[in-house]
Amino acid sequence: MNHIEFPILGAKWAIGSIALFHTAVASLAIGFAFFVAVAEIMGYVHKNRQYDLLAKRVQLIHVCIYNIGTINAIGLVFALSGLFPQFWSQIFVQFYWPLIVEEFLFFLLATTLTFHYFFWDRLWGHKKLHIFMGVLLTPMFFLQFYIINGLGGFMLTQGVGEAELSLRTGILGWDRLGFYNPSFLMLTLHRTLANFAYGSFGVAGICGAMLYLTNRPKVKAFYEEGGRLAFYVAFAAFLSLPIIGYFYAHVLRTQANEAFVNLMWGRGDVVAGGVDWWWVKHILVASMLGMCLTYFMRTSDDKRPFNIPNIMVISVAGFYIMFYLAMGMIMTWAFFWWMLAFGIGGACLSGHLLSYHQGSGRGVYLLIGILSFATVLLGGYARESARPRFVDRISHYDQVFVPEDRQPYLMLPLKPTTEAATVMKEPVGAGELIRKKCTGCHTLDRIKNYPRTNWDTVVRQMEVYGARLSDKERELVTAHLKEGKPL
Amino acid sequence: MDLPIIQTPIAPRWVWMEEVTYSHIPIATLITAFLLLAPIYETIGYLRKDPRFDRLAKSMVFFTMILYSPGAALGTGIPMFIIGLWPEFWSRWSNLFFWPLMGQFMFFLLDVIFLFFFYYLMWEKLADRKPLHIFFGFLSALFGILIQLVWDSLGGYMTTPSVPLPMVNEPVGWSAAAFFNPSFPYLFAHRFFANISYTMLLLGGVFALKYMRQKDPQEKAYFGFAADLTFTIGFLCFFVMPFVGWNFARVLQEESPVVFHAIMGGHASPYFVVKMGLIAFLVSFGGAYLFMRHRNRAVLAFITAGIAGIYYILHVHPPLHWIPGGPTVWRVSYTVVLAGLLIFFWTRKRKGEEESASRPRLMFLVGLAAFFAFALGGFTRERARQPYNVYGQLVKSEVLPLEADRWLTYEKCIMCHHQSPAEFERYKPKDWVARVKTERDRPGVNISDEEAERITRFLQENYR
Repeated sequence: MNHIEFPILGAKWAIGSIALFHTAVASLAIGFAFFVAVAEIMGYVHKNRQYDLLAKRVQLIHVCIYNIGTINAIGLVFALSGLFPQFWSQIFVQFYWPLIVEEFLFFLLATTLTFHYFFWDRLWGHKKLHIFMGVLLTPMFFLQFYIINGLGGFMLTQGVGEAELSLRTGILGWDRLGFYNPSFLMLTLHRTLANFAYGSFGVAGICGAMLYLTNRPKVKAFYEEGGRLAFYVAFAAFLSLPIIGYFYAHVLRTQANEAFVNLMWGRGDVVAGGVDWWWVKHILVASMLGMCLTYFMRTSDDKRPFNIPNIMVISVAGFYIMFYLAMGMIMTWAFFWWMLAFGIGGACLSGHLLSYHQGSGRGVYLLIGILSFATVLLGGYARESARPRFVDRISHYDQVFVPEDRQPYLMLPLKPTTEAATVMKEPVGAGELIRKKCTGCHTLDRIKNYPRTNWDTVVRQMEVYGARLSDKERELVTAHLKEGKPL
Repeated sequence: MDLPIIQTPIAPRWVWMEEVTYSHIPIATLITAFLLLAPIYETIGYLRKDPRFDRLAKSMVFFTMILYSPGAALGTGIPMFIIGLWPEFWSRWSNLFFWPLMGQFMFFLLDVIFLFFFYYLMWEKLADRKPLHIFFGFLSALFGILIQLVWDSLGGYMTTPSVPLPMVNEPVGWSAAAFFNPSFPYLFAHRFFANISYTMLLLGGVFALKYMRQKDPQEKAYFGFAADLTFTIGFLCFFVMPFVGWNFARVLQEESPVVFHAIMGGHASPYFVVKMGLIAFLVSFGGAYLFMRHRNRAVLAFITAGIAGIYYILHVHPPLHWIPGGPTVWRVSYTVVLAGLLIFFWTRKRKGEEESASRPRLMFLVGLAAFFAFALGGFTRERARQPYNVYGQLVKSEVLPLEADRWLTYEKCIMCHHQSPAEFERYKPKDWVARVKTERDRPGVNISDEEAERITRFLQENYR
């Protein structure tokens, strides 16, 4: 063993769990910041104290969850350091400076957020200044997000050769070409709008939950209107997601074909426990779309502030149908029909909930809040699991790019000890290779019990699923399996 | 394969690192102390039915809430800076302490959940279920202390590494011997009481200033009460420090003698002397304030006992060589100073009932002195360990010849000349060649030709 093991979960799931939890919380924070700014401005413009109060309550929740997100980020850094040291060192060689800028923004954001909430009443006489502080949070979050997406996009569509060139000619710690990688723009746009939608749907969900919990008419009216506003803001952000999603998929098709194939045909880790989680995500999104459409048809009222015209609602529906058609053409028509069915199902459910609660949106708010949370988690999961597997996380630095000609005096020797070096230099036998390469995904029993002998085809199939083998290793493994030698 | 180190603009990397660290530590320590003291004050308020304690506790938690997000954001910056600027150190260190770091992450998470959702947000809602609310406060405090405990263990390891620092391809994850390293309990105890002491003294100073500016009699009475209470607690907690500190120093003397000598008479001693000066200031003026204000004999007796304790510590402490005249002068000096201080205190007893504008300012200055004394402690420790990141195991890459030679000299010579590097000042530059040669010839001394040359050069250049 030459890396730290994470019991029960395994290294991949440990990182995945922390990262997904962080994504869910951080995305909610970004969405909350956006919603708070909108609600506070609405309150100021319409001289409606209720919007201001709603904004303040949401900001309080934001302050609380923000710190959970921060702690999760620390946990992620610790976990990556121990479990994937090679990857993590590589990332810092290439993106140290963006990460430091990110850190600086983090501090500014935390300070601004703290002052914005805790000085809400004290700055009552300076409302414009206070609103400005609140509005400032969204671009700050966006910049932070921009940086993280540069790194996230790089992990999927890196273009390694170009990145090395960028470091060789540029600054160590700032891989410009790697940062502005092919999927960076689409990922940023997709996640920004998805976060705005998710955060606002999250507020709607909270309002829905509060409506279930309270009996006081005044409080009910407050949360009913709050939920409606949040729902509308979320839907406005929801608008362009299918268009961006389509182009994002197109970028993956050309730049990260393996990930694209995994997503479209349900391969690799995208399918876990026999379920294609990318499909599940889209089923949830289609249900949400159906729910939104019914909700708007039933509640649209031009006299209330922040109303969305019907033409916009119909356009969104049109975009989504076009997206599902396009996906149907690329993948399978079953995808299209499933989405259509769940869209209609969501619409019916939404109509039923509205009728059941006598026009109150509580059921719809709560359900859509939960569904949006699930879609964010599944979106992150699908993207991560679509990537070719991180096969080798051995803690050595052989693959870290080092422009040695530029900074020879700042090189740290990281030589393995004699004992470890001996172990590393030993030739790896076919049996050990099989154990190392195959058991990351399935047990050795699967190999032992395989009834046929077409090992050439099987090994190649495994490589499509993500197994990384050099030519020599492939030959060794295939020969070993063909000969039926013990594993 | 080598690992590149990223260069920083404007200032060297250690300056950036210390900037980030020293902006985080005061916030983090303040939060840890407030988290512990808030439920204690709340409990006292609940038991005595005194709303002033509850108000004090709530204001501390409110301030903690304001500080938490910026503090946590700065905290995330520390690993980011280290990973990029000290990649080898971080990779190997986080390899050794992977599981404590993961535990740290869980403690942080639980700390935030209990502080934000169960303690702060529930203050009013659980007003009728005070014991439950206080329980949540203590849980939050517990996780805060556990966070500090882990950091102090990992920090202690850097000064007294009990096991070798593993390479990155030798996965460890957890080592009880490394975690429970010799200086860990003392560092933890030292910082635990220092946190409470400096935060309460500083808070007392701030409350005293607020007291001075208040016009509303009710508010003035509250701030007077809060200033007196927090300042007294801070001052009394200080007296644990000399005992813990001296034992900490003894462990350093045993386990990391170079660090000990660097602090006691070597290159880090100027910072230590300033720190001691600040402590002398806070003991003199803080003590005088308390004697003037307090009628409580137990408090006054405790302070007197504390001064006697300091006397004992100074008695067992090696004489400071920067005081001319040798050990006798040193012993007479501190005996006279401490005795004079006690006489001064007891003569000032209860003479300060009248209002004085300078008193709140002086209390604030005492609080500041406590803060800087605290900050200088960590700074001194870091300086003393240089040029090593981990004592005796991992040298920083930009090590200067002077630093390397100094370490070698301390390491090779102080083992026998164990009083202080200041002893070297007895010799003249022209004597050093012969002196080093004589020492090399002694049985059991192992100094190579190259090392002898470096040691001689260092001594000639630095002890003239």
